[in-house]
Amino acid sequence: MKQMKNGTIVSQGKYIKDMIKKFGLLEAKSMSTPMGTNDQLGSDASGNMVDQKLYRSMIGSLLYVTTSRLDVMFSVCKCARYQASPRESQLKATKRILGYLKGTHDVGLSYPKGSSFELIGYLDSDYGGCKIDRMSTSGTCQLLGRSLVSWSSKKQNSITLSTAEAKHNSVLVVVHNCFR
Amino acid sequence: MKATLNNFGIKFKHMPLLCDNESAIKMTQYLVQHSRTKHIDIRHHFTRDHQQKGDISIESIGTKDQLADIFTKPLDGKRFCKLRNELNILDFSNLK
Repeated sequence: MKQMKNGTIVSQGKYIKDMIKKFGLLEAKSMSTPMGTNDQLGSDASGNMVDQKLYRSMIGSLLYVTTSRLDVMFSVCKCARYQASPRESQLKATKRILGYLKGTHDVGLSYPKGSSFELIGYLDSDYGGCKIDRMSTSGTCQLLGRSLVSWSSKKQNSITLSTAEAKHNSVLVVVHNCFR
Repeated sequence: MKATLNNFGIKFKHMPLLCDNESAIKMTQYLVQHSRTKHIDIRHHFTRDHQQKGDISIESIGTKDQLADIFTKPLDGKRFCKLRNELNILDFSNLK
């Protein structure tokens, strides 16, 4: 947490550095995005099993990072679904997220000073994004003026039959968050 | 969240929600029954209710300006950086 003349910055730079050191990825390549656009992360039942304890501790650390680094939120949540029986391909994806964080550990959430107080919500969903059960994911974020106050990325609970229905479910997520 | 903002003394009555799907917007605006929407029943009325009270209004936004994209799909480097900056996630290593 840093206070400056024109705003406040929240970041977890030190934690990220320590985490990368802990998992021995100091020499890993820095990536520009946490996940490739064509990465088909599935259950990969034929792949080799990897150490579950390692995978889980990686996910656990990454989930803590998502409190300030919502740019990795989607990819971390995606990897976190495979904790029960992690395979090599999923471990590779997780390591890519760590590689991305390594390249961008000095990035943090900033709250500029003197912005207005208008609440605007954005919502989106990907239709049938999950390759295993074809459920959609809803993503929402709310901005108060220019600063981000609330966000979520969650796999929906039911299978939707159209993009409109998937988006409509995201609307519900926002309304639930804001008017409960 | 409404309650939290009220605690801070910020009264907000109306929140625009930006969505990039036209038919989802139409669905909340007009009461239409359709073979494809008939199963979206109770939840549907919940949002309609809030809309009629004026709490929310669902507006359309181009896919390019949709900030919530970052939470739903893997993006390429350029777009990812753009959205990240718009969400105010900034690199401060050179700001000190």
